Amino acid sequence: MAAPILTASGVSKRFGPVQALQNVAFHVAPGEVHALLGINGAGKSTFIKILSGIIQKDGGQITVGGEEVHFRTPEDAIRAGIATVQQHPELVPDMTGLDNIFLGRESARRGLFSRIDQRGLERRAKALLSRFPVALDLTLEVGRMSAVEREAVAILQAIAGENTRVLILDEPTSTLTDIEREDLFALMGLLKAQGIAIIYITHQLEEVFAIADSFSIFRNGTCVARMTVDEAKAGRVSLADLMLGEAIGDIFPPRAATAPGDAVLEVGALCLQGDFDGISLTARKGEVLGIFGLVGSGCDELAKAIFGVTPPDSGTLRLRGQVVRLTSPRAALDAGVFLVPGDRRTEGLVLSRAALFNVPLANLRRAAAGRWSLRRRRMQGDARALTGDVALHPPSLTTPASGFSGGNQQKIVLAKGLYSQADVYIFVEPTVGVDIGARAKIYALMRQLSRDAAVIVISSDCDEVHGVADRTLALHKGRQVEPVSGVFSRDALLMAGIMGEVAQ
Amino acid sequence: MSGFQDNMRQSARGVGFLALVIAVGAALAIAEPRFLSSASLNGIARHMAANGLAALGLTFVVIVRRFDLSLPGVAAFAGMSMGAVIAAGAPLWVAVAAGIAIGAAIGMVSGVAISRFGLPDIVTTIAVGSICAGMAFLYTGGRSIFQNFFQVGITDLNDARLMGLGVSLWILLAIYAVAWFVMHRTRTGVAFYATGENPVAAHFSGIATKRYVALAYVLCGVCTALAVLLILAESGNAETNKGANLMMPAYAGVFLGAAILGGTSVLATLGGILLITMLLDGFALMGVPYYYSDGMISLILLAGVLAFSDTARGWLASFGIRRAFRRSAPGEKG
Repeated sequence: MAAPILTASGVSKRFGPVQALQNVAFHVAPGEVHALLGINGAGKSTFIKILSGIIQKDGGQITVGGEEVHFRTPEDAIRAGIATVQQHPELVPDMTGLDNIFLGRESARRGLFSRIDQRGLERRAKALLSRFPVALDLTLEVGRMSAVEREAVAILQAIAGENTRVLILDEPTSTLTDIEREDLFALMGLLKAQGIAIIYITHQLEEVFAIADSFSIFRNGTCVARMTVDEAKAGRVSLADLMLGEAIGDIFPPRAATAPGDAVLEVGALCLQGDFDGISLTARKGEVLGIFGLVGSGCDELAKAIFGVTPPDSGTLRLRGQVVRLTSPRAALDAGVFLVPGDRRTEGLVLSRAALFNVPLANLRRAAAGRWSLRRRRMQGDARALTGDVALHPPSLTTPASGFSGGNQQKIVLAKGLYSQADVYIFVEPTVGVDIGARAKIYALMRQLSRDAAVIVISSDCDEVHGVADRTLALHKGRQVEPVSGVFSRDALLMAGIMGEVAQ
Repeated sequence: MSGFQDNMRQSARGVGFLALVIAVGAALAIAEPRFLSSASLNGIARHMAANGLAALGLTFVVIVRRFDLSLPGVAAFAGMSMGAVIAAGAPLWVAVAAGIAIGAAIGMVSGVAISRFGLPDIVTTIAVGSICAGMAFLYTGGRSIFQNFFQVGITDLNDARLMGLGVSLWILLAIYAVAWFVMHRTRTGVAFYATGENPVAAHFSGIATKRYVALAYVLCGVCTALAVLLILAESGNAETNKGANLMMPAYAGVFLGAAILGGTSVLATLGGILLITMLLDGFALMGVPYYYSDGMISLILLAGVLAFSDTARGWLASFGIRRAFRRSAPGEKG
């Protein structure tokens, strides 16, 4: 392979008492797709932030194209040809794809009154699209685009600087469906063919073999392994073991050993115009019910309808045999339904606040327990016990939720759910952006919850639904698809969710 | 461990605040020795009571991350209404009840318009404030109301003393104590803060966020009416411009207190309004014309908020003043 375009050696970084990176060695060649793997907190993000100039290294050497570089700002990195697409790219939803791509670079001249050169913009866009022929209508507003189209716009925006030599993608596939993922991989192929090196962070290990040429694994702040995908295949290397530093077993807990108990939640012919129609299901104590559906299948809307966020147009809900009407989250919580929402950062947590604030939030009645004032000592004790139960790391009750990794933020939401003592727990996309160690813990907690409550897991990750649930069904374009008899196999579930058909 | 660090940081802020009060007091006393006279200190206590009530009302609104620019208008209308009730011969408590009811009703209008119907807070409160400012002229066409003021005993609110302190200061402290308890020790307070910091997550946690936004405006209206009541008590008459100077000190108190003491809270507002009132009264004693003092307070507000903001600290640090700031912010993430 060609000489490396980007190298790093001996890179280290310390945050206060925490050695975030130590003596990291790294290299990537032009046209190489290189996956960066590691559990949350392993140092991937810190390393990427150093490469993109967001933070500065304490020591070590980084070279681009053979020359040593010192990035003080993100602009320095961009000028050196390193473009980064953040995990949640910031785009202006009301502007078109084209306007977003050239935002801040509309004109070659810098000046308050320099006119936007519309024809020049179109020419540049055409040139960009001729290099990377993506099937994408750039005149559409970004707010009306799908997740993969937005990701493509963000990538085009990042590489519109013409001289991009290295592109960093931070978990680009975490919100994409399988089909969209293929589109993204196609775009990555085009970039690769242009000789751009791609560094790509992911938690989806099977993607590594699908798209990457090589990978590095970070653990405890250092790069513990670098190999090509061919080497890994030949040596039958387990990526998960390398990431965790120890052999892990199956991340899914064993299924329920005993027959499920009483029906807790019965959903009858639930309908919400435009989102889903005629959904009937029963969730029982003692089992995990899995629902698989892609983005747009109505899964998220179904969960929110049951939880009272957007009450359904018609249909019935029964809790423990009683018909209930849940018209608000308050009503749902009072009736004993708890939602672990799909977007934990906006729907699940007050990020600026610590676990001590977030954990009791959905059940303040319990926190006050009949008094005017909150029972603060008891609240603190409960929060400490529950964050311990979910193995929150670091086990701090006073660190703002924003300071935790994705997996540990989800654990705070789980502790909040445990505090609210519900009878029905609905999980939506429970492990998006969660590393494999925390995933295993979250699945185990679901299983534990199902002993005393009904648990419904809704996800666009077919393996997750199939792996964790005792009984599964699929949602396809708002309609439910159930197995003819018994349970879905993994492949049948996938077919049901993607095609809406039941395999015979 | 990090809880201990939080406590340390919080008490460091408290010590810093006390040092600032002493430094400002000393500077004003040196510039104008009369600043420490008992008449001046009593004046500060009285003015702090009025300013502090307006600032407390604003605190609720700022905690739910909104703005209320209707303060002067609400104060004018509530003040003239109370004056009219007193002039009609009603007892003081009736006038106070009328003022509170009017403040609450106006706050309810703004609050419901903003939370239930989603109108922009700034435009709505400017409009509501302007309407109220106009309605203040309904009673007398703008003439001062003073009839019955001395007979009804409203001036006792300004003059009477209890254990050596003016009764208005006691009123302020009592209301702040209740507000502190509600905002920092009850479910209601948690709901207010959650509504402000993430309304979506609060809604998903079963908190009636719209109700709390509306309630914040109601409380702000009530506090504004009480603030103007103390102003009427001091001057012994009601005029349409009585609340005109309430808003700037109130905003300055809330934001300066939050900047110094690390977040919007009842105690932060109390600290902020103490500093602001000291400065305002000090300037007045030194003979600074009133038309400059709002500007100077605003300047101090901007400087204070800048000096205590993390963004500004990082920005200053990039100019190489790093060492001075590093010690004050240990263990913060880069």
